[in-house]
Amino acid sequence: MARKRIIQLMVAFFVVAWACGSAHGVDEIRIGVIGPTTGWATIFGQDVLDGVKLALSQKDYKFKGTPIKLFTEDTKADVEVMRTKMDSLKNRDKVHLIIGPSLGHEGMAAVDWAARNPEVPILVGYSAPEDMTMRKATYSLVRPGWTGAQVIFDFGKYCAKDLGYKKIIMVGQDYAYPWDQAAGFIRGFLENGGEKVERIWSPVEAVDFSSIMARLAGMSKEYNAVLCNMGGAQVVAFFKQWQQFGLDKLYPQILGQANVPLVPMLAEMGDTLLGVYSSLHYYDGDPSPANVKFRESYNKAYGHYPSVISVQGYDAVNVAFKAMEALNGKVDDPKAFIAAIRNVKMTADESPRGPFYFDKYGNPVQNIYIKKVVKQDGRLMNIAVKTYKDVSQFGPYADMPEKYMAAPATTRDYPPGDKASYFKEIEKYFGKDYVDKLEKNKGWPD
Amino acid sequence: MTKERGYRFRRALLSTLVGGIVIAIPWITSEYFVMMSVRVMFFGMLTMSLTFLAGELGAVSLMQASFFGISGYTVALLESRYGFPFPIPPLAGLAIAVLAAALFGLLVVRVRGIYFLMLTLVLGQLVWALACQWSSITRGDTGITNIYAPTVFGISTEKSKTAFYFFQLIFFCGAASFLAALKRSPFGLMLRGVRDSESRMAMLGFRVHLLRYAAFVFASLVAALGGVFFTYFTGLINPNTVSLPANVEALLAAILGGINSLLGAVVGTAILKTLDVVLSGITERYMLIMGVLFMLVIMFAPQGIVGTLMKYWNNRLFPSRNREPERRAGGFSKKPDVVRNP
Amino acid sequence: MSTLIVMSLLNGLTLGALLFITASGLTLSFSLMRVVNLTHGAFYMAGGFIGLSVLKFSGSWLLAMLAGGVVTAALAFIEERFLLRWARGNDLIETLISLSVAIIVGDLVLVVWGGYPRTISIPEALSGAVSIPLIHTIYPVYRIFTVGLALVIIGALWVFLKKTRLGVTIRAGVDNFEMVSALGINVKRLFSFVFTLSGFLAGVSGVVGGTFLVLVVGEDWRILTLTLIVIIIGGMGSLGGTIVGALITGLIHSFSTAFIPQFSLFVLFLPVAIVLSIRPRGLFGKER
Repeated sequence: MARKRIIQLMVAFFVVAWACGSAHGVDEIRIGVIGPTTGWATIFGQDVLDGVKLALSQKDYKFKGTPIKLFTEDTKADVEVMRTKMDSLKNRDKVHLIIGPSLGHEGMAAVDWAARNPEVPILVGYSAPEDMTMRKATYSLVRPGWTGAQVIFDFGKYCAKDLGYKKIIMVGQDYAYPWDQAAGFIRGFLENGGEKVERIWSPVEAVDFSSIMARLAGMSKEYNAVLCNMGGAQVVAFFKQWQQFGLDKLYPQILGQANVPLVPMLAEMGDTLLGVYSSLHYYDGDPSPANVKFRESYNKAYGHYPSVISVQGYDAVNVAFKAMEALNGKVDDPKAFIAAIRNVKMTADESPRGPFYFDKYGNPVQNIYIKKVVKQDGRLMNIAVKTYKDVSQFGPYADMPEKYMAAPATTRDYPPGDKASYFKEIEKYFGKDYVDKLEKNKGWPD
Repeated sequence: MTKERGYRFRRALLSTLVGGIVIAIPWITSEYFVMMSVRVMFFGMLTMSLTFLAGELGAVSLMQASFFGISGYTVALLESRYGFPFPIPPLAGLAIAVLAAALFGLLVVRVRGIYFLMLTLVLGQLVWALACQWSSITRGDTGITNIYAPTVFGISTEKSKTAFYFFQLIFFCGAASFLAALKRSPFGLMLRGVRDSESRMAMLGFRVHLLRYAAFVFASLVAALGGVFFTYFTGLINPNTVSLPANVEALLAAILGGINSLLGAVVGTAILKTLDVVLSGITERYMLIMGVLFMLVIMFAPQGIVGTLMKYWNNRLFPSRNREPERRAGGFSKKPDVVRNP
Repeated sequence: MSTLIVMSLLNGLTLGALLFITASGLTLSFSLMRVVNLTHGAFYMAGGFIGLSVLKFSGSWLLAMLAGGVVTAALAFIEERFLLRWARGNDLIETLISLSVAIIVGDLVLVVWGGYPRTISIPEALSGAVSIPLIHTIYPVYRIFTVGLALVIIGALWVFLKKTRLGVTIRAGVDNFEMVSALGINVKRLFSFVFTLSGFLAGVSGVVGGTFLVLVVGEDWRILTLTLIVIIIGGMGSLGGTIVGALITGLIHSFSTAFIPQFSLFVLFLPVAIVLSIRPRGLFGKER
């Protein structure tokens, strides 16, 4: 009796093991999307996925008659799970392309995986650490997105030159992505007339900013403005407590990091966000036909307006399609696919964010918009008050990328936030000529 | 007498069969399955360390993932940032994790029952807080990447998943045997004695604190070993590895499989980690399902899957043997240990 | 500098008030039933979200607070009656059951309210800030209100436990359980009542906290950890101890985030570890 049971178990075991490894059919394009679709980071994963689905449904899930199969995997914001899922997308599902991931630490792990698995093209979703397409760049990973510093260099300049601020306090969540944003902002700010950026870091999940509010109140005589360098729940808590502690009377409107005036934040926080300045490679109030079409079809499909997170998924699919056009659908040669992807140039009509193309490291060269939250058509949206064209991930250092990468990577304290130490650093890494040029032009060329 | 021999023969046959299958896995299944097996092994070591403490000592620890992670972080640091050659990082990892257990053990040893659970929860969070905030060493939330599996005796375990599989299998079996041997030894007997009635053991002259301390340190060694393989295979580590959810998952796996058997730890881990990957492709309600599963197991099969199966097996085959499981079950049998039934 | 110190004191005090309201329920249920209700964090979050929805429909913050408390109390009642009672007598299993309920409730909240962070608007009457005379700073009215609310609850609980029959019975049960059941008191109903009350307090604290902090997935575990810290430091089973524990935790949190934010997490857990290892019952815990 027991023996029979054992044999049954063994048979079952073999069937299961075999099923796990069975291959899929051909004549089908397989795309895997990976990101956090459950847990605290759900918006960052779900919105990318929604953008992908919208783009695919606009193309009927077909490329020139070949059906497209979509595999979605949840990383649960855990990199070990992500790695496992990427392995299964590659080995079990045999996808031709992976779109994702979304979070910073996921991104760094993904580029690590890409280096070891160069046969799977990856189009990054929302992840923004710059090293993914700089110091750790690898051929098979292309990012149709942005880096933390790329979108904020010019914001620093805008705050110094256009808004006339001299000293700014930055309150941020203590992890790599806000470090990158702080670094980019500091470079733009200090090289264009600013004097000091004071960084206050708070633990990633902390939502009680009362002590920080107290500090900010004490510093209001010396500093001109506050930059909120956070995302998600922390933004909601920060703005709330900002008002509670009366800081809106001590400082002008808050300056925001990329994740602050996101469309879902506008919906949740309402008028408290009015007047907030920020910068990004996309603004939801863009009246361009591509953006309007994207926005309205998204709203029709999902019942709410899209954020920049969804744009990433949407654009990734469109980039992939353009590459597939060039290859005539032959996606099973990964090297050719990746080369085609890197050659893609999107025009202003093809992407809701504006035109872009990839630099040699796989990151886009695109427009950066300084935006402000206003009320239009009865609802809140971001409009652009200034546009900078053709900005690469190296920003103003586009003609000396090696020097930029040779400088130390950003950490929570690097680059230094006061003008004197900062200039010492850039003299060391960018050279005296660069510093002289800065002083002569009083900043970056417009 | 014949029944006994028959039982032993069947058991030997089963073990050989299972052993043969385990060794043949890389050739009879896909690479995907091998990868899953590797994951089950290193997470399994984490679960086994929890199972050992909970089963033998009746102490539910919510910080085993801390030792898993401390050893993992050490390996990660020494490999990626300092580039030490092979056996040094894992040895250092084990040493530092055990040292940490020795330190924490001093705090933890005097505390029992629910207080033990809470203290280990809090200490586990302390380790997590360090991993998040000591950025100069741990690189904070981003964690450490760029770790490559070692080349052992000239064979690269990075390039060949099969090689890694066997490399880990050896140590996995070693760890399991180690714990099994401890369980069978007089030490194990003393631990169960402490679990069942600490006052009696103390009265009989046993050094109860020393026993608890030793068990805690031994368990941490196994968890640390798991952490070494985790880091090498995954190639990265970050604070998630030592977080509260990671500890709770280990507990879930232990309960699912059965707190009184090491096999249960492995089975529970296998179920959990497989469901993890499989379910999330089908539904987003993964946590809900796990929560319900956990509740059902805890309420109706507190011995876990393996425990219940073994009870069933023993009852069917050997009616006279069925007293063993109850006695071995300790705090997880349904029998309440204090008369408080209102 | 001294402004910062005074502000940190106030912040610690007000955070402590919230922590007290949250922890009071947990202390009550633990002291009588010896079960650490790990669902408490999930009840906080659920109560908060329910309050959020009730506020949207009714516009009354007070109603939202009560609704959050009542619905969570009902959930607690169900949990006790059908799940925990079933395993009565085995503390470990009861605790693990409460853990599984926490996971389930946490996911259900995600299903109903989604993953975006939400916040409850401060009622008009309590918004704004007042000027504190001696230190020339302003402080939010709402946070001062939390202190008031905590004091009211302390008072109510004190009166309840010391002066009413039910309260006295509960205290007797905490001190000497066997005697109480021997005296023929319906202990089942007593347990139900206490657990339900603790659920009510958790739900109320969810609305109170969700108004000046934030409501989002993951908050349940954060709050649970903080509450456990409060109870461990102050001692389980002692209301006075909970007050002290809440104050200490609140103050440590606010001072560390003000002066050494990069170590604030670590600093929070350290005293707990120390207290638990030297005095496992907590500073004011009762010997059992």
